[in-house]
Amino acid sequence: MSRVAVSARGLTKGYRRVGRTAAFGTLKSALLGRGLVDLLNPKDVVPALTDVSFDVRQGETFGVVGPNGCGKSTLLKLVAGILKPTAGSVTVEGRVSALIELGAGFHPEISGRENVVINGVMLGMTRREIERKLASIVAFSGLSEFIDQPVKTYSSGMYVRLGFAVAIHADPDVLVVDEVLAVGDEAFAHRCLDTIREMSARGKTIFFVTHSLSLVEELCDRVLYLEKGRTKRVGEPREILASYRLDVSAGEGERLAAEHAVTQDELRAEPATGATGATSATGMAAAPAVDPPPGPVPDDDGTAADPAPPGADASPAPAPAPEPERLRRWGDRSAVVTACRLLDGEGKERYAFASGERVTVEIEAEPSRSLSDFVFGIGLFTTEDVCVHGTNTEVDGLVPARFDAPATARVTIPSLDLASGTYLLDVAVHSRRGTPYDYWRGACRFRVDSPRAEAGLWRPAREWGFAGGVAWKAE
Amino acid sequence: MKSLLDLWRHRALIGVLTARELKARYRGSVLGYLWSLLNPLLMLAVYSLVFQVVLPSRAPSTSPYALFLFCGLLPWNWLSSGLTDAASSLVTHGALLKKILFPAEVLPAVAVLAQGAHFLLAMPVLLGGLLLGQAGLFGARPALGWALVQVPFLLLLQGLLVFGLGLLLAGLTVHFRDLRDLLATLLTLWFFATPILYDLADVRSERAVRLLSLNPAAPLFEAWRDALFFDRWVPARTWGLIALFAFVAWAAGQALFDRLRDTYAEAV
Repeated sequence: MSRVAVSARGLTKGYRRVGRTAAFGTLKSALLGRGLVDLLNPKDVVPALTDVSFDVRQGETFGVVGPNGCGKSTLLKLVAGILKPTAGSVTVEGRVSALIELGAGFHPEISGRENVVINGVMLGMTRREIERKLASIVAFSGLSEFIDQPVKTYSSGMYVRLGFAVAIHADPDVLVVDEVLAVGDEAFAHRCLDTIREMSARGKTIFFVTHSLSLVEELCDRVLYLEKGRTKRVGEPREILASYRLDVSAGEGERLAAEHAVTQDELRAEPATGATGATSATGMAAAPAVDPPPGPVPDDDGTAADPAPPGADASPAPAPAPEPERLRRWGDRSAVVTACRLLDGEGKERYAFASGERVTVEIEAEPSRSLSDFVFGIGLFTTEDVCVHGTNTEVDGLVPARFDAPATARVTIPSLDLASGTYLLDVAVHSRRGTPYDYWRGACRFRVDSPRAEAGLWRPAREWGFAGGVAWKAE
Repeated sequence: MKSLLDLWRHRALIGVLTARELKARYRGSVLGYLWSLLNPLLMLAVYSLVFQVVLPSRAPSTSPYALFLFCGLLPWNWLSSGLTDAASSLVTHGALLKKILFPAEVLPAVAVLAQGAHFLLAMPVLLGGLLLGQAGLFGARPALGWALVQVPFLLLLQGLLVFGLGLLLAGLTVHFRDLRDLLATLLTLWFFATPILYDLADVRSERAVRLLSLNPAAPLFEAWRDALFFDRWVPARTWGLIALFAFVAWAAGQALFDRLRDTYAEAV
């Protein structure tokens, strides 16, 4: 059980720089220059994988995660023997079957049955073996009706199903699986997963690459986290995935911050126009959280006779529709939001947070004249336009006195208890009755990450308690 | 030699792929395999018409010219289309090299074998033509006899030659796509330098003969005609040259192919 099935030692792979290959891509230039010599002794290489070592024990399901371009596929191809390492070594015990591209090598003109035979031979089966398994392969693919049709008449799903069926029946000792389960319909994906689980149960070693972290969590015994071609961590899935998720969100935060800077510039260059005031009714409906309900609220700064519980108005948002740019910001410009940013607990601008972090929304605004009727509001939405939370100074019981010079408003959420996801922040300055001065939808976009994969939007602190006949393994 | 053994190990794969190549080629046509027979038959008919009626042959040694030509042309077609297919085989089937563990040399081997199969399928037409010629249908009678037993050896040696050159071209074409275009021209040049349209014995200029006999394909095609047309035993020296060229071509092709092997999966 504890025999090593795949062993990599200092595995390094470099690719020749493409631009250079292209430069020597003609015979002429090769003859004139030193192309042929360079070809045989490549020096100018881009490292794809650097000094990666690991052991996969027999029967283990080993996952590889990492962002695009981190070397996952290269590693997979090295393990499958398709590529040769530049340095280091990888040894594999037993027959490898690689599900890197299903149905690679199917010939469109000939029948599914004949392709099964050819594909099987390519995967190392003997003809007799294939003939014995043919019925089972066809049954697994669910293509018995079409098996004698030329493969060119197949849909892409059928193609993949047949390819998977053959690869599984090659009965490999080590199964190398790339992001192949993404193709095919739900039912087939389940069947593939069941098959992989079954193979794992039969003691087959599985080498697994996918972007679906939940699959990794579910299937893998151990996970390798690659970053820029180097081993970042190897270990127990939950631990590795948590650290991977945090890194992803940090990266995303940088991207969102960059995006944020761009939108802010754009919107500053082309600020809200009064003409779009006509759409404000729609806008208000679309953003119920920020605007108090139109009702018997005095027009002027007189005492709010009826501070109706505006929170109750945070009704489900209307169906999201892709909005034209002009619907992202409107108002009569009595006051204008000049900047909006998110700050973390240390006052640093950031757009990716871990769930439960302290977050401050900072709004800079400028009145066009002295105002005595004004409300600052924020609204948090999911990307599907579901309102998560909305509040404003009015709701929170602040009574406006004067706003006659550029000002900064900050609202701090001590613990951002949101589940993982991308969220949008609306900010607004409007009158107490709801007439928008400047309403800005999606002024900020940010990402929240939770170390666990909870469902829903809210991530409260929680504790489990147990009594009676239930026990849990100590970690 | 080990490489040839490796190839033997992959014989099942080569077998199914060659069969696939042949099947796929005629899939969708009504006559199917018959085309492998019909094509040379039609070609023979056209040549006969041209060289019996339009341009009656001059040299008595090459008469009947249509059959004389055919005896060289069929093996040449194998050589030329085998090389053309082999040269692009790695590039065409790049998906295989990239996506699964696949012995690359199988691809040129399949290209050569598939074209060889077409050649074999055309052989009955050639033999039929020769028999008709013996019956006097084309005027002069070609000699047909025991020399035919040399054919299998010629087949083997030409197979090795084409495979060797095919390996060489296939490996290089991955990195220099220009070769595919260049190859067509080179093959035309080679065609005329090879005694197919003419008999080397009929070439007058001493210098031309010396130049032409440098052509490694010359002994092979002389031998084909000795076996098929003149009913002559191929001289030992010619056999030696044919074998030498075939093995040198194979050794060189294999060496280069192996040297570049690790680059295929990345470069195709």
